[in-house]
Amino acid sequence: MKKNIFLFFLALFAVLFTGCQNNESGFPSSDDPTVVVSTKEIYGAPSRKFEIKAALADDLGLKSVQIQIPELSLDKVITFATSPLLETYDLSYFFEIPANRGTSEAFKIKLIITDVSGNVVNEEINLRLDGEFSAPSISMVTPKEGAVILLSTSNEMPVNFVVNDDSGIDYVQVKCEALGIDEMVQLTGAPQSYTFNKTYTLPVTAANYVLTVTAKDKFAIPNTGSLNINIVATNEYPAIYLCDQPKGTNLTTDAVGVPMYFHEKNGQDFEFKYYADKDNKEIYFLGQEADFAPHCFGLNAAGGLVDDVASTPIILPTKGYYNIKVNPNTLAYTVTKYTPSSKVWADVANGLWHDDEALRRPFVSVCGGGIQGADWDTWTAWTQTGLHLANNPNNPYQLVGEYTLTGQMEATFTGQWWNPSWRLIKNGICTMSPGENGNAKYPAAPGVYKVVLDTELERVFITKK
Amino acid sequence: MKFKYIWFFIALMCTAASFGQIKVTGSVKDKGAVPIPGVNIVVKGTATTAATDFDGNFSISVPNKNAQIEFSFVGFSNKTILVGDKTSFDVVLEESSQALDEIVVVGYAAVKKSDVTSSISSIKGKELQTMTVGNVAESLQGKVSGVQVTGQGGPGAQPRVLIRGISTVNLSTDPLYVVDGIPMGTSINFLSNNEIESMEVLKDASASAIYGSRASNGVILITTKKGKVGKTRFNFDTSSGMQIMNNPYNMADAVGYATIMNKAYNNSGYADYLPNPSQYRGKTTDWWKAGIRGGAPVVNASLGVSGGSEKHTYAISMNYYDAESIYEVGGWERITLRIANDFKFSDKFSAGITLNPRYETYGQPGNWADFDKIDPITPIYKPADQLTGDENEYSIYARSPSYVWNPVAAVKRYDDYTDQYNLNTNGYLQYAPIKGLVIRTQASIEVGDKVRSRFRPDFIIDAAHEKEEINKVERWATTNVDWTWQNTVTYSRTFAEKHNASLMVGNTMEEYNGNDVWGYGEGVPNNSDLMREVNAATKNRDSKGNSWSSSLMSYISRFSYNYDNKYYFTGTFRRDGSSKFMTNNKWANFPSASVSWRIMNEGFMESTKDVLSDLRFRAGWGKVGNQGLPTAVYQSNIGQGFYPIGDVIGDTSFPDSMANKDIKWETVEDMSFGIDFGLWKNKLSGSLEYYRKKTEDMLFLKQFPAYSGFPSNATIWTNVGSMQSSGIDLLISYKDKKGDFTYGADVTFTTVDVEMLSLSSDSEKLYGAANRTLTVKGEEPGYFYGYVADGLFQNQTELNSHTDEHGTKLQPYAKEGDVRFKDVNGDGKLDDKDRTKIGSPWADYNIGLNLNFAYKQFDLVANFYSSIGNDIVNTNISDLYNGASLTNKVAGLDQMAWHGEGTSNSVPRLSKDDNNENYTKFSSLYVEDGSYVRMKNLQLGFSFYNKFGLDKLRISLSGQNLWTWTKYTGVDPEVAGGDPNQGDAVKGSGFGGWNYPVQPTILMGLNVAF
Repeated sequence: MKKNIFLFFLALFAVLFTGCQNNESGFPSSDDPTVVVSTKEIYGAPSRKFEIKAALADDLGLKSVQIQIPELSLDKVITFATSPLLETYDLSYFFEIPANRGTSEAFKIKLIITDVSGNVVNEEINLRLDGEFSAPSISMVTPKEGAVILLSTSNEMPVNFVVNDDSGIDYVQVKCEALGIDEMVQLTGAPQSYTFNKTYTLPVTAANYVLTVTAKDKFAIPNTGSLNINIVATNEYPAIYLCDQPKGTNLTTDAVGVPMYFHEKNGQDFEFKYYADKDNKEIYFLGQEADFAPHCFGLNAAGGLVDDVASTPIILPTKGYYNIKVNPNTLAYTVTKYTPSSKVWADVANGLWHDDEALRRPFVSVCGGGIQGADWDTWTAWTQTGLHLANNPNNPYQLVGEYTLTGQMEATFTGQWWNPSWRLIKNGICTMSPGENGNAKYPAAPGVYKVVLDTELERVFITKK
Repeated sequence: MKFKYIWFFIALMCTAASFGQIKVTGSVKDKGAVPIPGVNIVVKGTATTAATDFDGNFSISVPNKNAQIEFSFVGFSNKTILVGDKTSFDVVLEESSQALDEIVVVGYAAVKKSDVTSSISSIKGKELQTMTVGNVAESLQGKVSGVQVTGQGGPGAQPRVLIRGISTVNLSTDPLYVVDGIPMGTSINFLSNNEIESMEVLKDASASAIYGSRASNGVILITTKKGKVGKTRFNFDTSSGMQIMNNPYNMADAVGYATIMNKAYNNSGYADYLPNPSQYRGKTTDWWKAGIRGGAPVVNASLGVSGGSEKHTYAISMNYYDAESIYEVGGWERITLRIANDFKFSDKFSAGITLNPRYETYGQPGNWADFDKIDPITPIYKPADQLTGDENEYSIYARSPSYVWNPVAAVKRYDDYTDQYNLNTNGYLQYAPIKGLVIRTQASIEVGDKVRSRFRPDFIIDAAHEKEEINKVERWATTNVDWTWQNTVTYSRTFAEKHNASLMVGNTMEEYNGNDVWGYGEGVPNNSDLMREVNAATKNRDSKGNSWSSSLMSYISRFSYNYDNKYYFTGTFRRDGSSKFMTNNKWANFPSASVSWRIMNEGFMESTKDVLSDLRFRAGWGKVGNQGLPTAVYQSNIGQGFYPIGDVIGDTSFPDSMANKDIKWETVEDMSFGIDFGLWKNKLSGSLEYYRKKTEDMLFLKQFPAYSGFPSNATIWTNVGSMQSSGIDLLISYKDKKGDFTYGADVTFTTVDVEMLSLSSDSEKLYGAANRTLTVKGEEPGYFYGYVADGLFQNQTELNSHTDEHGTKLQPYAKEGDVRFKDVNGDGKLDDKDRTKIGSPWADYNIGLNLNFAYKQFDLVANFYSSIGNDIVNTNISDLYNGASLTNKVAGLDQMAWHGEGTSNSVPRLSKDDNNENYTKFSSLYVEDGSYVRMKNLQLGFSFYNKFGLDKLRISLSGQNLWTWTKYTGVDPEVAGGDPNQGDAVKGSGFGGWNYPVQPTILMGLNVAF
């Protein structure tokens, strides 16, 4: 009897236990899932992402897709919700190839698709790392971005650029709709380098033009690169810049301030305020911001002002502040030294932040973007003492420091509670508050920069260290 | 003539009877050899009775040798002796904690334990005195079911006491302490455990509603020792020992620190921080040894004298407690005197007065963590070549590059002490004009003066980082004068033998007044001890002062009735009027009712009495309140500030807080059901209770919506939301005696389940502890809220697979060895929405185990306490394991932290940058199981009775907190609430950082009675 009872309970528990088992599938049987890959061969390259694309489908419902590249340590499972069941799925999965892989390597991408019924389908895609993904590089010789063509001098626009590409150049195209230029050069033999050089004639009326240069390479998956150049054709200069760098200097490596934008303009009379930080400082006037060509105003052998890239610099004899006037049409200029009368802000620099308010000394720091350690929170500006500017011991009107820029930057230099503060607006103008509104954004390559805030000039100079 | 015969026979009979009688004499004492006057002595089966005299002696006649004499006295077990051939007996009565005729103090009255219908736990002062603690509430731990006590280390620290969970989120959770009938607030730091006769914990509202608006967290009634009729008795009790402070962490030495930091730097792509670590061999600075004492002395002593006659009894005790700090300075010292006099002028008039002067002085540095955190390479003092000779005594210390201020120097500079002086006078007058009617008036005045003095000397350890350029001196003086007056009339009567009724009505008035003044100055000419006065300051003198007052007026009543000691009913009603509320809600009513059925006294239970000694069912209901919000919240306040316009700073004022004229009490409605039982002559006894507390109209400090036009920081107190606590209390007690061996065990078991029922809106989220806890509807308050740390990335494959469905990495900066955070909502992004519940600070249950054994003159007490199922946020994890800071790390961290696949799944790789935010993201990485079992006390005693000319001499050796079992890796698993000033008392519970640990303590004790 006892044995029977024991067996009864044993059977009962066995039934209950079995009944409690989780039925892994729980779905009726169905057909195998289907997979359609967008390509059977994917090109990749070290440090570059590639995309795995496939259309997955199942008549009942998809359960998961597993993506494996064991050699590249990829084993990703995407699991789908089963309520409601998912019948189709467009797989689009990006993966970056590690930098340390060789371009000659190739791998198999394995896709394992499982449906809710437990059916499994495998698919393989070839992955090659010898892909070429760089767009052809276009190096403009002339005109440079922002170039000014003074129509009164010449209405010709020479266009000269060099294109390079490792996989070979398919074609080069130059377009400017306003000028009716649409010139395509189809290259044969896919050369890796090509130089374009042609001069176009402009109408004599002032206008702004956009010149678009496009180049396409010959890789299996072609890459296209293009460049827009803004050109100003004018009878007078919209702006003149003061440049205190020697000729040949790359004028685009600074973040702000080089060459220096004019202070006042009346017709073609341009006026600058400028600080010569040493005796015999050499300066030029430029008709464009990014280059010494085409309009560089210096002295000729006779000591007169000329628009000539080969001219020699104007020399400011002694260190100090100057008022400089120039007219690029009449080629007249004057240089007058002066003593500033604006407020000396020496008392707000060399300050100290301290938790105890009584122990703080006034300081000037920065709020902004693209500056390591800074943001728009004034608290950060106060407490990040590395952002605080110091007095220039040689010039009480200058606050100097060193910032690490991380990319496009914008800034307002500020004391505690925004008092005082200088907002960096366009053209390197750093207007003291209350001044003009709108912080300008300046592109900058990441790196360490010297910062000079000149409160007399209301200009800031941020140059690569 | 007939009368003559009659008188003759009577005389003859009496003579015969007298000749047949045996005169028995002797004394009755308690186990401590203290004579007990007034013991009731009955010759069984006769009407012959007697009582012990002033010295505990008795004399009684018994009819023959077979007579049995029974001795009984309140609070002691009855004892019966057979006369036999002896005519002199020294009887020893043993105290009984379960005796049903024991008197229990309830609010504004005392009743027999058997008549109590509500949930009240009673504990004797003797049980509390087995431990040497600064705050007697710590002794309660594990001894009372339904009471959760979380110890706080450090001299003068106040433990957190929760009675049946919590009933508030924003206000204090501490119970109300009532000492000798006078409400004394929410702290009893001023009370020595040697002063306590008994403690009653009113756990449910039917017991505590008589305290109305302050009873929502429960009430603890404390009765201090009073004189007893008898000869003058002296009692001297002392225990002294050492509180042990072991370093909770094994910190790295200089070589280890350099190795760890180098690895953190290297892992982030930087060069070595401290090249060639071996150069630091033998150059470790042992900061801990330099500044933390391994043992800090603690002394608790009491000298008492008591006695008295039928007309006058007295008890005087002088108590001293001193706990030194773990630093070379500071601690907590308390001296109290309690002088209690009770007078009985006649059968109708009695009176009493108790004086309680007290003095406390305390203060200690709080930087013990810095002794672990500072790097071990920096020396304590500046090297000789860096000293110019111009430094003052506080400037000769070295500065650590770890940015931790030199802790030895900080202790040297420490000068922040508080002296507190109090005098409490508590007197009563009682008149009983007719039988059963008692008219009583009681008044108390508490006068206190607290003076805090602080001096911060000037020093320059490092001109940029560690300095005080000018010394500062401050003094706060706070004075309080509080008074209470309460009047009650009680009438008790038994009708028709079986109807027992009692009615009490009365009123109370309380007023609390305080004022303070603060003086401040800078530039004291030097740092000399003698110059540390505000008058000596030469610069920036400042002062401020304020005064405040609050009052409470109440009407109270209680009606008790029982029929034939079987069916009991008690109802109470209190009406409170508080100065904290405006007219609309100035008055509130707090009723309660409770019933019990003593089924054991039913006739049909007669057959069970061999096994069942007692059985009773109870049910109670009541409403209590919490008015513990700041005074004058019904006022609007204007804040002051300033703003700059150019160079000019302009003063301004703005609405700071708004009045809510409808503000009212938090109300807690409480119901409970219980069963009390006793088996085998109460050898096994206990009680089981279920309770549920529901809080309505909770008080919250809310901000105004932006559209209101008020500044974003303007606030208003308002009544919104509700919550509920429920759970079970269980007490099981067993005691027995085998020959000379007596033993007993009490087990307490407490569960608390807390849930927020509603907030101001269904979707409202209340964050606490710097957004690390969340309180929402339907959940327990203040649960830990953060990311789920799903182990560490062990290899590149795991890193690569932690993406969304398109391959976008969820943690783009993660590397192998970094924490994998879970995408909880599965949206393919790791953001704020992935934060979830990652732990609970609330225990599933607490268990206390209290064992006692005695064999002849030996006695042994052991107390254990445990908290099971709660979690703790170990905030020290970042300090100890995070390579981003320059503070010292635990020894061997370079091997403990992840350094290759499979090497660790809990300690992330060392990294200087922590780009993955392993430590800056609040995650379950910080959450640990906070369960623990702690041996609170182990005490072995040996007693001599009537030796050396003393009634009693007992010596004891005890150890407190000697052993703790826990998986928690932090400093101490006893972790209480957060900062009440941040509103985190509840919402910030369970954050364990560098909390001062509850220290193991070894003590020797001596008790002498004569």
